[in-house]
Order: sequence, then C-alpha cells, then structure tokens
Amino acid sequence: MRRAVLLSLAILAIVGGCTKKRELTPNLNVENKVQVRPVTLFFEGPEMLLVRETRNVGLPENPAGALSQVARELLKGSANAGVPHIFPRDTVVRAAFLLPDGTAFIDLGGPTLSQGWGTGSHEELMAVYSVVQTVTTNFPEAKRVRILVNDEPAETLAGHVNLSRALLPRMEFVAR
Amino acid sequence: MTRSLALPAIALASALFLLAQAPTPASPPNPANQATVHAANGDHVVTIAHQNGLTYFAADETMAALGGSVTRDGNGFKAALNNTVAAFGTDSRFGVVKDDLIEMPVPPITIDNRPYVPWQFFQGFLIRSSALDASWDPAARVLQIRPAQTTAVGVQVSVANVQGISKVVVTLTAPADYTIVKEAGAYTVRFRNAVHPPYVEQTHEDPYVARTSFIGNDLRIQLTAPDVVGDAYRLENPFRIVLDLRKGAASGPGTPQPVISTRPVESPGIHTIVIDPGHGGKEVGAIGPAGLMEKDATLSLCRRLATALEAKLKTRVVLTRNDDTVVPLDQRTAIANQYHADLFLSVHMNAAIVKGAHGAETYFLSLDASDKLAEKAAELENASKNAAPAASSDLKLMLWDLAQQEYLNESSRLAQAVQEEMNRITGIQSRGVKQAPFKVLVGATMPAALVEVAFITNPDEESKIKSDAFQATVVEALTKAVERYKIDYETRIGIAQPPPAAPATTAPAAPTTTTKATSTRTGT
Repeated sequence: MRRAVLLSLAILAIVGGCTKKRELTPNLNVENKVQVRPVTLFFEGPEMLLVRETRNVGLPENPAGALSQVARELLKGSANAGVPHIFPRDTVVRAAFLLPDGTAFIDLGGPTLSQGWGTGSHEELMAVYSVVQTVTTNFPEAKRVRILVNDEPAETLAGHVNLSRALLPRMEFVAR
Repeated sequence: MTRSLALPAIALASALFLLAQAPTPASPPNPANQATVHAANGDHVVTIAHQNGLTYFAADETMAALGGSVTRDGNGFKAALNNTVAAFGTDSRFGVVKDDLIEMPVPPITIDNRPYVPWQFFQGFLIRSSALDASWDPAARVLQIRPAQTTAVGVQVSVANVQGISKVVVTLTAPADYTIVKEAGAYTVRFRNAVHPPYVEQTHEDPYVARTSFIGNDLRIQLTAPDVVGDAYRLENPFRIVLDLRKGAASGPGTPQPVISTRPVESPGIHTIVIDPGHGGKEVGAIGPAGLMEKDATLSLCRRLATALEAKLKTRVVLTRNDDTVVPLDQRTAIANQYHADLFLSVHMNAAIVKGAHGAETYFLSLDASDKLAEKAAELENASKNAAPAASSDLKLMLWDLAQQEYLNESSRLAQAVQEEMNRITGIQSRGVKQAPFKVLVGATMPAALVEVAFITNPDEESKIKSDAFQATVVEALTKAVERYKIDYETRIGIAQPPPAAPATTAPAAPTTTTKATSTRTGT
C-alpha cells in the first residue's frame, strides 16, 4: 500500500510540477517587449506645488515592471536642471508591486532615508505625493499608494507624513 | 509543454484515494527535499529546499495542495486562493495581500525559475484568504494547516456618548465573522467564532446603552428605550465593530418619554493643553543654512509658549518633551490622551527646496487614509449639526481614528485661529490652513493642529527664528490663538461669555499650572 501511495504521489508531483511550470514560465515575447510610452511625472514647481512633466520612457508590457520603471524615472528628477530634486539624491526604488485591489506598493531605500531624512513637512509632503500622484496618474488601476522603506512598513519618511496606510491622490498638492 | 488534463486528474484522484487509506497523516518518511502538507483535504507531498539553514517551500506545489495556484506576474509572483491574491517577489521579505503585508523572515528565492517561500508566507496568506492557520514542524517536516482561531478571539467593549450618539465599540484580537440581530430593546452581536468575554455583564451610564452582557458567543447590548436605533460598521487594524446608537423617529405628542440617565460632566472647557515641540534627539528635523536645527528651535519656542499659556490662560500645560530626546510620534498624542488634554498643538519649522520659500502654515489631520473613515466622518459631521455641542473633556473616546473624526471640525477651528493670529501678530506671510495625513496628529482624542512657524531653510527666516524678538511675537500669536479658541469653544458650549473676562462664578475651578516634561509625570 505504501509503495502505491508513494508511486501515486510521485506521479502527482511530476504531473503537477509540469503543469505549474507551464504557468510560471514567462512568455519572453511579452515580458521583454519594451514599448516607448509617454509618462507623466510630478516634481515640485516654483509655486511650491507639484507640476507635471511628460517624457517618453521605454516600459515593459507587464504593469509591475512598468510601475517600478516609472518610479525610478521619477527619482531621476526633472529634465529641467532648474527644478530641484525633491527626494535625497541617494534615494532608490527597491521594488514595486501593484495589487489587484488597486493598491500600489513602492519600496524606497537609500542611505538618507535609512538614516533619517531631516526635512520639513512641506518637503516631505511634496516627496510623498510626487510618488502618489505619479503612480496613480500613469496607472489608472492604481487607486492608492503605500510607501515602504527598506522593505519595511515605514511610519514616515522624515517625521511627518503618515505612511502606515496607503495614500490616496490629493489634487490640492498639484498646481492647476 | 502541452498535456492532457485527464492524466493529472486521474493521478490526483488516485493519490487522494490512496491517501485516504494511509494509516497516519504525517508518517511518511520524506526525503530531505520533501515535506508533507497536512490539510483538511488530505496530505500532500511538496518539494522543499534548504538555504542558509532556512527551509523554503515550492510555492506552486504547496499552493496547489491547498487548492490554489501561483503564476508569474512581472518581476514577481501571484498566489491565488479563494479569490484572494497575494503578490510576492524575491526582492522583498514582505508579500502583499488586501492592502496588508505578509511578513516572512527572509525574501523568497527561485530555483529553476520556480518560487520557493518560507512557511510563514502560507501562514500569513491563509489567515487572510481562508481563515486557516499554518504551522511548521521541522522535525517531522509537516506543514500543518488547520482552521484559524481555534482559540477564542479576545473581545473588549467600550461605550461612550459623543455629540448625542452612543458608540459601542467592540474590539477583537483577530477578524471574526458575525451578524448583528435587532431585537426589542436590544442589539445582539452574534459571533461565529468562540470569544473570550471580558466580563459577563456590565451596566453603563449612557443615554442609550443600559448594559452589555455576554451569553455564549453572543454580545447583547441592552438599550435604555425601544426607540433607540443604530447603524453598524466595521473598522480594520485592529478589527472593530462599531454600533452608533441614537434616538429613532420623533415620538408623537403625549408619548411617554423614557427616563434617560445622563453621564456626569467632568468640568467642560479647555483646562489642559499639550504642546509638542517637533522632533528631538537624533531626529533633528530640518536644518537651516546657518546650521540651526529644527529640534532646538521648536523646543526653545515651546518652552516659552508653555510659560505664556500658563500665565495667560491659567491652564495646565504639558510639553511632550522638555529636553533633547527622541519621543516617538504616536507617543506624543498618547501623552495628550493620557493627560486628558483638551487641546494639542504641535510646533514645527518648515523646509523647502524651492528657494525663497517663506511664511507660516497650519495643518489639521486629513482623513484620506481610509475611504470608509472619510465617509463616516462626513456622516458624523452632518449628524453633529443638529446635536448639542459637547464638552471636550466629556468625550471619552476609545478609538483613535474615530475619535479624530469627531474633532475634525474643532481641529479646523483651532488651526484657523492659529494661522490668523500668526499672520496678524507676527506679520509673517500666511500660507493658509491645510489638511495632511500627519502621523503626529493621528490618534489625538482632542482638537489637534500642527503649526509650521517659518521656513528654517530660508536664511532670512532662519535668522528670525533664532531672534528673541521674533520668538516673542510667535509666542504671543500662539497664546492669543489658543485663548481665542478657548473662549470661542467655551462660549459655544455655554460655560463662558463672549468677552474674554468672563465672570468668576462661571469659570471652572482653578487648575494646576505646572509645566513639566512627561517623563517626570504620571497620568492624572
């Protein structure tokens, strides 16, 4: 009886493994296909509100890959050299996820954020909402954004804006 | 690779049949790279891997054993079970499900392009998707799956009347299924899980709730009158069931009115003010171009403000910190709650990368962290328009986020007063009253605001902040703002008259006037 059990399990494991492997094997034609698309990024303008900047970016077809790519593009800063960086220059995007329920997760890192970013409420608001607005504008399926720091749930970036919950976009931080 | 579905189906059926005949669930001596998943639908052998002393489960095989699946999604993977999807990847030890995190001790790995996860992934995912729990026995190499909450769920019940609405808040230690049944003169919350009642029966001095009692897994809420009606809703993190009770349709003429007991009012008015100097210790805050640190500027200013408020308003003033130490953000509002403060003001210096940024701005909390809470806030705001104003010290709230909603209107008034007096007395440019989801304002059970006095990153304003004269005008402005709010509030609730010099007979009892750091104080 035991031999029969093990035999059946072995068959099951082999068949099941093959079946699942088919699901897990990426379709390289789709996964690797990069399409140049216009994306809208948000940076702080002279009126101390977020302003839009559009640029063409090569993005992978899958939304998760595109999401992290757009977030990285945001952290590169504005194409206009006169527009200062909102985030510390050593900030990096570690990962990005988009859940089916519309919550996007952006995991940030870098020495300054890790050691404690010393800045004021205004600058922190601009930084946080530049991410929120950029993500929700370019990915309509993303309804809210949760920011993590170094793979961990973060309380704030610099002691002000509550990051313990996902944030909805807020147009009052965007120039009209 | 294309295969007929018939073969796996036959293999699955035969395996399950033979498994049913097997003598014990966890007995097969698996090789080192195999483990047994022991679930309600039988035992399943799955592949495991070992790296750096840790065990990883083949996610696809294990999810299949549980009746779910795993698919690749971009750079990561998706696990699906019972219409619930969890995302995970090899670059994070957190999976995400339903706007929540599944914590694993280490990130998943891939072997031959297949994801392997620590067993804690299944523990976190199953509780959220199937009310199941998982535990791992490394010696027997068995992943045990069983119904979650086999132990009873802890329950706490709080009752408070806020602006004419009695709130019954039932806080659970874990999510639970329940139904609410309306009976004559009572509501019953019927839990499907076993619960740990905190008591058998308790009476309440509340207009609408006479007593609460536990009978088995039922929580019975006995009302003071049959025409009390309620609305129930649920909140997460922690899991809470909230029942808002109020009077139903107006009674007709001649209808006997029930006797409603009223709670004693604890000397309404503004008696205790908590002032919060922003940042502290290693959390220096923003730094000015000449090196002035925000933490030092706020502490200096707040010490002067506390002295001024005590002298001018004869109120007790508590500082959340009185030295250069780190005070966690949630502890700051906890201090205010502990002292039953009637007002909370956090003081900060602003920073901007835009050159020439200048001026003062004042914030109160925004509720956009939760759609449902915002909706509820709007309901409460509308409801409160027809309700008599209540004294803040009489508001004994048990729920941080709900409590904050109750005070949004008051926080807005406080912020308005602060901003206007800052502009009027200091002459600094007004950047207005704004709302933002600031952590330090979350959880305050009293009107709360955060003032950004000036931009420390602006050289001119940094110089001002350092100057004694400017600090004096800021202290004057903030003192005036608090006084103005206090008079306005106490006038609205009927314990003070519009002119600031109210008759002594209507004034509350003289409070204490000490200013101390919280580390040296105990609760009142």
